[in-house]
Amino acid sequence: MTEFRLENVTKRFGSETAVSDLSLRADDELLVLVGPSGCGKSTTLRMIAGLEQPTEGSIYIGGEDVTHQSPSERSIAMVFQNYALYRTMNVRENIGYGLKHSSSLSADERTTKVREIAEMFDIDGLLDREVSELSGGQKQRVALGRALVRDPDVFLLDEPLSSLDAKLRSRMRTELQHIQQELGVTTVYVTHDQKEAMTMGDELAILNDGELQQTGTPEATYARPTNRFVASFLGSPSMNLLNVNTEHRTGGVTCLLNEQELVSLSDDGQATDRSVQLGIRPEDLELLAEPPNDAVTGTVRHVEYQGNDNFVQIEFVNSTLTCIVPTVVQLSPGETVGLNFPSDHVHLFDMETGDTIRTPPVDPGEYRNQSGALSADHGESEPQSGE
Amino acid sequence: MSTTTLVKDRIEHIDPRRRETLLGYLLVLPSVLLIGAVIIYPLAYNLYLGFTEVPLNPDQSPTWIGFQNYEALIGSTRFWDATINTVVFTVGSTLLATAVGLGVAILFDRTFRGRRLARGLVLLPHVTPIIAVAFAWQFMLDPLWGNLPDLLAWLGLYESEVGLLQSREQALPMAILFDVWRNFPFAFLLFIARLQAIPQSMYEAATIDGAGRVAQFKDIILPELKGTILIAILLRFVWEFNAFEPVWLLTRNLETLPIYAYKSAFSTYDQGLGAAIAVMLFLFQLVMVAGYMRFVGEDEL
Repeated sequence: MTEFRLENVTKRFGSETAVSDLSLRADDELLVLVGPSGCGKSTTLRMIAGLEQPTEGSIYIGGEDVTHQSPSERSIAMVFQNYALYRTMNVRENIGYGLKHSSSLSADERTTKVREIAEMFDIDGLLDREVSELSGGQKQRVALGRALVRDPDVFLLDEPLSSLDAKLRSRMRTELQHIQQELGVTTVYVTHDQKEAMTMGDELAILNDGELQQTGTPEATYARPTNRFVASFLGSPSMNLLNVNTEHRTGGVTCLLNEQELVSLSDDGQATDRSVQLGIRPEDLELLAEPPNDAVTGTVRHVEYQGNDNFVQIEFVNSTLTCIVPTVVQLSPGETVGLNFPSDHVHLFDMETGDTIRTPPVDPGEYRNQSGALSADHGESEPQSGE
Repeated sequence: MSTTTLVKDRIEHIDPRRRETLLGYLLVLPSVLLIGAVIIYPLAYNLYLGFTEVPLNPDQSPTWIGFQNYEALIGSTRFWDATINTVVFTVGSTLLATAVGLGVAILFDRTFRGRRLARGLVLLPHVTPIIAVAFAWQFMLDPLWGNLPDLLAWLGLYESEVGLLQSREQALPMAILFDVWRNFPFAFLLFIARLQAIPQSMYEAATIDGAGRVAQFKDIILPELKGTILIAILLRFVWEFNAFEPVWLLTRNLETLPIYAYKSAFSTYDQGLGAAIAVMLFLFQLVMVAGYMRFVGEDEL
């Protein structure tokens, strides 16, 4: 219902630029701002909340320019990383505090609203507890309740799950998604955890060094990263990168490393005459137990047992590659294995700028959601520019 | 040789459990002796002196006169005047020093250039030797060349011929002012430490919730600092009630109970009366502190 928009927003702290020329929009969906620490994602969130003033640019909520409005004038609510519950108030007072100060509801109406939201988050039994008596998960729920009781147009979450243990975190993750879908409230979610971003987001905005790298659905950004940063940031273990030489041959381009032919690509003419980096995800790299004589080979260095898979570290020329193999494949350190780089999974990046030269041709049916960005340019290799 | 073996022999014959208990007593004995010598004995001796008349001749022992000292005190206006002075001085300076300390602490609870230096400077009134600052204040309050009366006169607030420290009516507020100035850094120090333990995000959450500065002070700062404020008031109250030098060094025209006790004991050499005043001072304080604890509840402290 409510559209939220950032237009060319820049934030500088002294001579330090935290966010530079950022434009974003979200509409009734869950937008995840993700990036390594110090990338400007929290600053962006705080600017949307009104806790920081942008140096340049404008912020719109529901079509209205709110750039110079105070936090309480904007229809937003925020959940802080450390919850920021009022320690001297009980749960009921915590949830009702915002209603008391920024709504015209009567005391009775406020009590009803607090009760409703408490029931929604299953904390109606805790209303008279002090904050210090709550567990981490309960505090989390109270913080969410305190934010959502005000019916915000934009709901902001700053790493809300980072202080919960792994099990609780994945439960809260699903619960949050559920609530967001149910209420249909435009949500901006900040996290440094790419896995959390991929599982939760309708849209991702990947930031690095204060600059927007790419926006798109998790599927689109994972399959077609616009540059090396996005490619290696998303996915765990991260994408293998190799510095290779390219050579024009009949029918396409061949990638060579140490005179060894790694892969021939039929679809790319642009890769030649440049220093190029080849990228392949660990799940796409294939191992050959009995390599033919002319195959590329590497040495197994370490096998990491993961339960359902093994992560295998392979020494190859001067670098280490990671490969995910099923646990039935028995490998031991020192063993020589053949490596196959399937041409329909190979990414190429410009060595200097890091921009994508080639993304693998993608069959849209392979991914769990339809994704507009992917279907049209099937098999094409145009570098995708940041949206 | 033979005696040590005898003692050893006897110790070894004591029941081991009793030996353990005895060892416990033996270990606390030095502390008990020390506390007895430096606290209990003077206290008891003072109590005893209050019931006596102490002759000037050191060869003669004090004469027991029962409650005569106390009767004299209760019947004298000088004693009650001193009591009122003490209470007004104590309550006034305690509350004001706490309030000023809180205000300054809130002002300092932010980052700015030179914060550490500024914080150090705020502590100066409290750490400078009192004799130096008392004379500086006397100088500032002097009717002839003092800048404070000058300023007050210029503002049209003061036109008396009598110096600000010369009469009891004006010496009392001046003594309170001086004491507040000297002691607000103590409250400041307690409060600033506590304030910095309040996460910034709590104020931010309140800002988003629509709470203004005043509401944030009332709903966040005051409740968070409640215990610290109550302790600061209690400590300052106890110290101000017994305070001698801030008043004595500043002006001789204001008589509080500690000063009255001192004058009785060492100016007029009525040690018995002095001791009785000290006992009364102690009793007043006991009642007031007990009342305070009752009022705020022990849990809060």
